[in-house]
Amino acid sequence: MISFLLIIISSVFFVGILTKVKAKIAARKMPSVLQPIYDIIRLFNKGAIYSPITSVIFKMAPIIYFSSILLAAFFIPIGSQRAILSFDGDFVFFAYLLAIGKFMMIIAAMDTGSSFEGMGANREALYSMLVEPAFFILAGSVALFTNNISFSDLFLHLNLDNNLSYIIGIAAIYVLVYIAMVENSRMPIDDPKTHLELTMVHEVMVLDNSGFDLALIHIATWLKFAIYGSLISNFIIHTVWTWYWQIIVFFAIQLSFSAIIGILEAFRARNKLEKNPQWIIMLSAISVVVFLTALIITQKIILN
Amino acid sequence: MTVLLTFILFFTQKDIQYYVGLLTHLAIIIITSIWAVSAFVSATTLSIAFMPFLGETLNFEIDQLTAFFILVINFTILTGIIYAKGYIHPYIKNKDKTEIAWHFFNFLWLHISMLLVVMLRDALAFLLVWEIMSLSSFFLVIFESEKAETLKIGIKYLIQMHIGVVFLMVAFILAYIQTGAAFSFDGLSVYFASHNPFWLFILFFLGFGIKAGFIPLHSWLPHAHPAAPSHVSGVMSGVMIKMGIYGILRVLMYIHHDLFNIGVFILIISLSSGLIGVSLAIVQHDVKKLLAYHSIENIGIIGIGIGMGTIGLAEDIPILAVLGFGGGILHILNHSLFKSLLFYTAGSVYKQTHTRNIEHLGGLIKKMPKTALLFLLGALAISGLPPFNGFISEFLIYSGMFKSLHSAGLFTDVILMFSFAGLVIIGGLALFCFTKVFSIIFLGTARSSKVEQAIEVNPTMLIPNFLIGFVIILIGFVPILFMQPLSQIVALFTIDTKAINLLIPALNSISLSSGIFIALIGIIWLLRSWQQKRQIIKQGDTWGCGYTGANPALHQYTATSYADNFVQLSSKLVHMKKEFTDFGEAEIFPQNRVFETHSSDVFEDNLLTKPSNILLKVFYKIAVFQTGKIQHYLLYALVFLIVIFFLTYFNLI
Amino acid sequence: MTYLFIILYAITLIYFALSERVKKFVWLLSIQGFILFGVVFFSLHTLEIFDFLFILIETILVKSLIVPLFLNKVRKHNHLKREHEPSVPVFYSIIVVVVTLIMSFILCNHLNNNQIHTKYFTVSFASIIFGIYFIIIHKNIFSHVVGYLIIENGIFLLSLAVGSEMPMMVNLAILLDVLMGVLVLGVFINQIGDTFKSVEIDQLSKLKD
Repeated sequence: MISFLLIIISSVFFVGILTKVKAKIAARKMPSVLQPIYDIIRLFNKGAIYSPITSVIFKMAPIIYFSSILLAAFFIPIGSQRAILSFDGDFVFFAYLLAIGKFMMIIAAMDTGSSFEGMGANREALYSMLVEPAFFILAGSVALFTNNISFSDLFLHLNLDNNLSYIIGIAAIYVLVYIAMVENSRMPIDDPKTHLELTMVHEVMVLDNSGFDLALIHIATWLKFAIYGSLISNFIIHTVWTWYWQIIVFFAIQLSFSAIIGILEAFRARNKLEKNPQWIIMLSAISVVVFLTALIITQKIILN
Repeated sequence: MTVLLTFILFFTQKDIQYYVGLLTHLAIIIITSIWAVSAFVSATTLSIAFMPFLGETLNFEIDQLTAFFILVINFTILTGIIYAKGYIHPYIKNKDKTEIAWHFFNFLWLHISMLLVVMLRDALAFLLVWEIMSLSSFFLVIFESEKAETLKIGIKYLIQMHIGVVFLMVAFILAYIQTGAAFSFDGLSVYFASHNPFWLFILFFLGFGIKAGFIPLHSWLPHAHPAAPSHVSGVMSGVMIKMGIYGILRVLMYIHHDLFNIGVFILIISLSSGLIGVSLAIVQHDVKKLLAYHSIENIGIIGIGIGMGTIGLAEDIPILAVLGFGGGILHILNHSLFKSLLFYTAGSVYKQTHTRNIEHLGGLIKKMPKTALLFLLGALAISGLPPFNGFISEFLIYSGMFKSLHSAGLFTDVILMFSFAGLVIIGGLALFCFTKVFSIIFLGTARSSKVEQAIEVNPTMLIPNFLIGFVIILIGFVPILFMQPLSQIVALFTIDTKAINLLIPALNSISLSSGIFIALIGIIWLLRSWQQKRQIIKQGDTWGCGYTGANPALHQYTATSYADNFVQLSSKLVHMKKEFTDFGEAEIFPQNRVFETHSSDVFEDNLLTKPSNILLKVFYKIAVFQTGKIQHYLLYALVFLIVIFFLTYFNLI
Repeated sequence: MTYLFIILYAITLIYFALSERVKKFVWLLSIQGFILFGVVFFSLHTLEIFDFLFILIETILVKSLIVPLFLNKVRKHNHLKREHEPSVPVFYSIIVVVVTLIMSFILCNHLNNNQIHTKYFTVSFASIIFGIYFIIIHKNIFSHVVGYLIIENGIFLLSLAVGSEMPMMVNLAILLDVLMGVLVLGVFINQIGDTFKSVEIDQLSKLKD
């Protein structure tokens, strides 16, 4: 329960800090950290406009998307606080739960009959397909290392003590940061600030949503960021620390994670769209190297 | 006695032929299902004497694997025959009595022969019934034989099936000659105990693989399934190709040593089938051809499960063996369910719009809402998404893989890594493909006028779909119910099945999480309804970048554009050819243009079309000798006599 | 600690497969030089000061500073920006790199030889195979020089793997190879660039006539 609450609290401030960092680097005036909350409250007071081309799919999709991400947050532990739901193999369920959310958003985008949304939909489908192996191979290497296969057990038994296991920790954090960028459609896959419809990926899929639906989609984005931030923090927090120390480190890591994403966004340009698939498959390649490291640590590869 | 009933069909009137067929089907289903359920309940093998054959009595041997297949076959045929009533309706007027009777006759014999295939063990009887199955499905495929294309495809299908039978015959005969044991499946165990099982297994795999549709033996599938009427495609894709898997499983049961190479072989072929099958599916624009390629992909997933199980047996990792086989076998059931659902709904769409080309459809959800939602259910299930049944079988395979990572050797670990990476890419590609199909057919606006007259189909065509949907949701939400029979089947392969009990808490949690998921959706929907009651909801056109002068249908994304960025990655595999005339240098106001894209199957091109074209060329050259004049033929006979005389004279022959 | 640098070296090989800009190739080469220094530093226990200075000069000075600076000069002289479309798409090159790495790790697991230090042999073998593959798929002479240098790095690691110490002869030989190769090829590229205005292989094979 505590881990779920921590994720919710950190998600609220995440995007605000990110925007502040980006604005500061670009020497612009910084909006308030709570600006996203004000946006959501404004959206909650609005009605909605639906296109006559759309059908019941368009109305139900944001709800299913949001519920899938909320349910996925139930599975994430933080340090020694267990998750609300946990079972063997739950990271498979986690990944496929996010996939059903994406499926509904993609068909909702195609439902509007707009070519822009179709473009965004098929790019989103391809990129999320290419990034899945990276996540699974990473999970596989940590499972191999700790001989457990549920999120809670994995992180409970993850002891990064000797030098070689630090490599797994650092490489896993590096890959997870980039997986988070791909899943949330940030740089260098997609630029959230561009409003040229021909070059958007995620932003264009929600072009025709309004009101409550749009608010749900925004909150879902924050939650996804917070979920990946918690996964990253689990690699750093040792379960032997005291609980208040773990919570402090957790918030510090979320803060620095959003700051790092802000810095990455401010300084990188977006990849040319046809170079995106090869960039994403590079993440899977690095996960394979992490897997090989895990094989070395568990003495399956014997090197002298 | 039931055999006689099938012949009565020819003597009845057109209108009640359907009901006679239905009754016969029901009778067979009830009898065999009782046998199957009693096999499960009593946990032993039933043996029922059938008929005398070549001096010995043939027995039906019903162990748990056979019982499972009997239930799957019966359920799919039941839904097929119920669906057929509405589908055949427009054809009844145009065809005469014998043709319709012949069609239902073959449907009955397909059912009977499939049941006999899984129940008989004697090799000669098995091959005979296998042949009857191929023949009856051939006649079903060429139902619309007034089209020349259909006839050609049917003949190609028949030839490939016979090539498969040749492989099987050779394999059985080899085993018989080498050991002299009984000419049946049981006799194989004597062979496998004393020889290296790999090569004979390959022979069996080739024979059964042609039926199952593994790459590169799959070329008949993408042609035969679209050509056949939809209820036949559903049954063929749902259960007939699983007969190949049944054969492979049955042969595997008798091999107890040297399993590692066999497992790796099955795994490599299955991974390629899965990846290549779904890649080829993405570029199709004929909806039934696309579904046929998806069958190849799912056969690949079943094969991955079986390969994993075999490797688990070889490396003595019980959890991998149990969960691999369990996941593969459960996927057989799941695939028959959602694939037949998809074929039936696609058939309903075809019936209403008379086109299978998805580029001409669009916006059908407003006209056929129930069909659309059922297709969505099938699409979500086939992509392996929770909370439906496709996820459960993939979850079993994943659990087996991840749980055994720690205890396996190095080479096995690397194989496991490639397998779960491959399986997740297959899942992602299936998601890509089905978002495309569902959105292009049902969502957006109509892309051509063919959609105008579409209305919702007859309720009898919807009943089997609802039935299948119910079972899909049942397996997805309460998978525990199916674990006990599953462990009985897996026990035939490996004795130690307590690994399935380890999984029970996980499966219960999945049911719980699925329930919470639905509850969350409900709560948020209620919240939204409450919020929107107090606000104004308006209608407004889709954002078109401010350009209001165009027909919305022209601006939509088409299927080819959707698949385009994937085609850029896999261009070598899908052979996409684009035909268009480029713009001239000085052409300021472009003329009308035509743009066509075609994709072709790279395996079919290189393995079948090219060699047969070369063969045809050689034959044309030799055909010079066939002049048609009798004097030339007498000359050949004279030359032959002289040659024989000289050869004997010089003691050469 | 050695393992850390070996894994980092493997990751640089992946980045070589991914990148297409010539500037990035040079940058990755200098990073590889630093990594090699790290490998040597942490793995050799008995080291005299002279040997240590020599290795320091060879790796950091030559591999990470002098050669990349020289290559940068050549690059600017010929206005090379981006490798034009390698013959195998980058997507598949990455898969090839991964498979090579896995194969070399499995191979080294099978070698039960006590004479070879297999932990260096893994990435050295992968590096040599990848360097050869790199030369095959790129069409530019400059990229061929880069591929040649990747192979040289692999041979450097190989000398660590099969030797129990760092014999001076091997190091001198490698150094000479590197310097001569780079100098000669660099001058060569400059001359060709001046005369023909292009350094593509396809154009160069017309030189025969």
